[in-house]
Amino acid sequence: MRIRLNSVYVDDQSKALRFYTDVLGFVKSQEIPVGEFRWITVKSPEGGDAELSLEPNANPAAKTFQEALFSQGIPLTAFEVDDIRAEHQRLRALGVEFTTEPMQAGPVSIAVFADTCGNLIQIYQPPGG
Amino acid sequence: MLTDDQLFRLCRARERLREVSEPGQSVAEIACEAGLSPAHFIRRFAAVFGETPHQFRIRTRLESARRMLVLGERSVTSICMSVGFASLGSFSWRFAQRFGEPPSAYRRRLFPSVEIPGHLPAYLVPGCVTLMNAAWTAAPQFPRSADAR
Repeated sequence: MRIRLNSVYVDDQSKALRFYTDVLGFVKSQEIPVGEFRWITVKSPEGGDAELSLEPNANPAAKTFQEALFSQGIPLTAFEVDDIRAEHQRLRALGVEFTTEPMQAGPVSIAVFADTCGNLIQIYQPPGG
Repeated sequence: MLTDDQLFRLCRARERLREVSEPGQSVAEIACEAGLSPAHFIRRFAAVFGETPHQFRIRTRLESARRMLVLGERSVTSICMSVGFASLGSFSWRFAQRFGEPPSAYRRRLFPSVEIPGHLPAYLVPGCVTLMNAAWTAAPQFPRSADAR
């Protein structure tokens, strides 16, 4: 058993694909049309096996979950970065809105931004990174 | 940076934009409620939600209309009015622009897939990996993991 797949709910798959590739810098891995939707995954150009699926939030339960987390300021998931300050500067320059500027949380540094698809996403720099 | 209070105000503005009321609230009024000038509100909303308040409003209306069309319980005109469009012409045009076919054609194509009256077929409300299963059923030749490439 391995962990190869994680997913985020998104309110619009086209918008999500643009943000996760053009802004965050992931690369598209799979895109398969399924009726009204698409099965879309992206992965990091820096390697690793894991893919992130951009799941439509068409199910009302997904929408409720997503909006409740967002309005409470809770990130849906987290991505690891090498240099959180550089990443924060880069994303800010691309117009990304942060709800938490880079800060120390014990041994790690974290920051939180809005992914334009209805989620807050945390980035973190591990200790010694 | 967005403070908790600003985030909360933007979320509340998003709720307002989803509401269909008579007379409809203007974007300027919603901006005022959020404590921002219209220009600042539009810019901030777009940076956080990836579309302008107007685009958000249109998209959510079209998506509600699409669900109602599939269920087939109301006329196209009644659906158009109930989601907040004033004219059938602009509703049909925007619908076709977004979904690739006019509302009536969409209904004709998808209404037959409703098995339980009043309930959308499962493939229109996918949950997590159901979409993956459907994708790989549709494209079984697709590599299933990174090591297959």
